[in-house]
Order: sequence, then structure tokens, then C-alpha cells
Amino acid sequence: MSQNRQYELVYIVSPDASEQTIAELHTQVEQIVQRFHGTLDKTENWGRRKLAYEIGKAREGTYVVETITGSGELMKEIDRRLRVTDTIIRHLSVRIDEAIRVADRLRDQRKATQARRRVARGLPPEPSPSERRGDRDTDDVDDMGLEGTEVQR
Amino acid sequence: MSEERQGRGRGGKKDDKAKGGDRPRGGGFFRRRRVCKFCADKIDYINYKDVRLLTPFIPERGKIQPRRISGTCAKHQRALQTAISRARQLALIPYVTE
Repeated sequence: MSQNRQYELVYIVSPDASEQTIAELHTQVEQIVQRFHGTLDKTENWGRRKLAYEIGKAREGTYVVETITGSGELMKEIDRRLRVTDTIIRHLSVRIDEAIRVADRLRDQRKATQARRRVARGLPPEPSPSERRGDRDTDDVDDMGLEGTEVQR
Repeated sequence: MSEERQGRGRGGKKDDKAKGGDRPRGGGFFRRRRVCKFCADKIDYINYKDVRLLTPFIPERGKIQPRRISGTCAKHQRALQTAISRARQLALIPYVTE
């Protein structure tokens, strides 16, 4: 049971590191995962990104995101290894399976409620694309800073 | 029948909340109805890697915008807090800006 936890690992590789070092680090992580009988589900390389603040002397870094399924011991080992690796300037591992489960449940619940209400109103359970309300989130973001000065109609 | 009533009960609750946000403020002007962005956009998981999602909640100084200003609901504010601290740790968002 505890073997099947899903984690997300993000690490920032120092800007001085070459492509090859990054690839090496990746295989290192992969090896640890294999040794602990976990699986590496996904790897994402964000490439070079400017850091929001300086870490040591670095102003930018290469971000790598890995999704790993495995045990807590596995993550402990990865954490230890990354901590001693000099080329990695920052890393963070987060357990995500529970968060995903919660998000899925919320989405399913919302869909079920919507379907139930629509059926109660005599509509088909799924809304057709034409019924969808327009994009309102975009202008919401724009208004963010002005909220205080705005007057209600 | 009972299902239908349940649905209506929920809707009523939401309306009450909306009214609370419309309360008149000092100087005689009304505050715009504040809606939790995450509830409105139906975002279930606040991803700490999504900088575009988080930046509206981080004013100039780099602090986390309080709930009373952004209108985020308690549940999502809590999730937002953790997401922001994770993003800060990964240098996606600054801790402080001068």
C-alpha cells in the first residue's frame, strides 16, 4: 500500500551544468527509483528559467520535474542524494496522490450535482457547448488591483 | 423530489454569501461582489508550478494577498498558501521584493 504513493519531484540544476550533467542527474534519479522498485511516470524539462531570487550565486537554473510512484523510503533516499549533489541548487518533493484524489472527487461531485440539477429542470444532463458561459476569468484577473476603487452599479 | 430540494437548498446558501460581500462600506460606496476565483473557475487543485495562476494573489511587495481583499474562500486560501510557499521555495515567486 505504502508502495504506491505518487510524488512529484522538482529540482533546479545550477546554470553552469552542461546538458550532459542534467542527463546524468536524470539517470541517477532513475536508478534510485529502480533500486527501490518504484516507477518513474513522467519527466518534464522546463529548461532554463530565471530564478525569482538568487540562490547562492545563481540567477537562473534548469528546472526538471519528475513524477514518481514509490515508497517513502525511496523519496528519502532521493532527497538525501539530491541534497549532497552540488550541481543541484534546490529541490522539492511533494506527495500528490492524495491531492489528485481530492481533486478528482470534487470534480466528479460537481459533475453529478450539475447533471442532477439539469435533469430536475428537464434538460439533458450534459450541457451543450453553445450553452457555456463566456470566459469570465480573464477579465477577473485584470480587475484584481482595482477592486477597491470600483463602485457597484 | 428530495433530490431536487437538496439542489435548491445549496443554491440558496450561495446567494446568502453573495449578499455578505455586497455590504456597504465606509464612504457610502459599495464593494464589488467578491467571488473566490478558484470556486468560480472550478479549480480543484491549486498547482504550485503554475505561476500564472498564483501571481494575481501576490501584490508588489511579494506577500500573500489577504482573503478580505482577494475574496478567496477559506478553503482555497489555505490551499493557496501552501501552493505559494512551495513556489517560493522553488524560486518561482520571490519571498520579498523591494
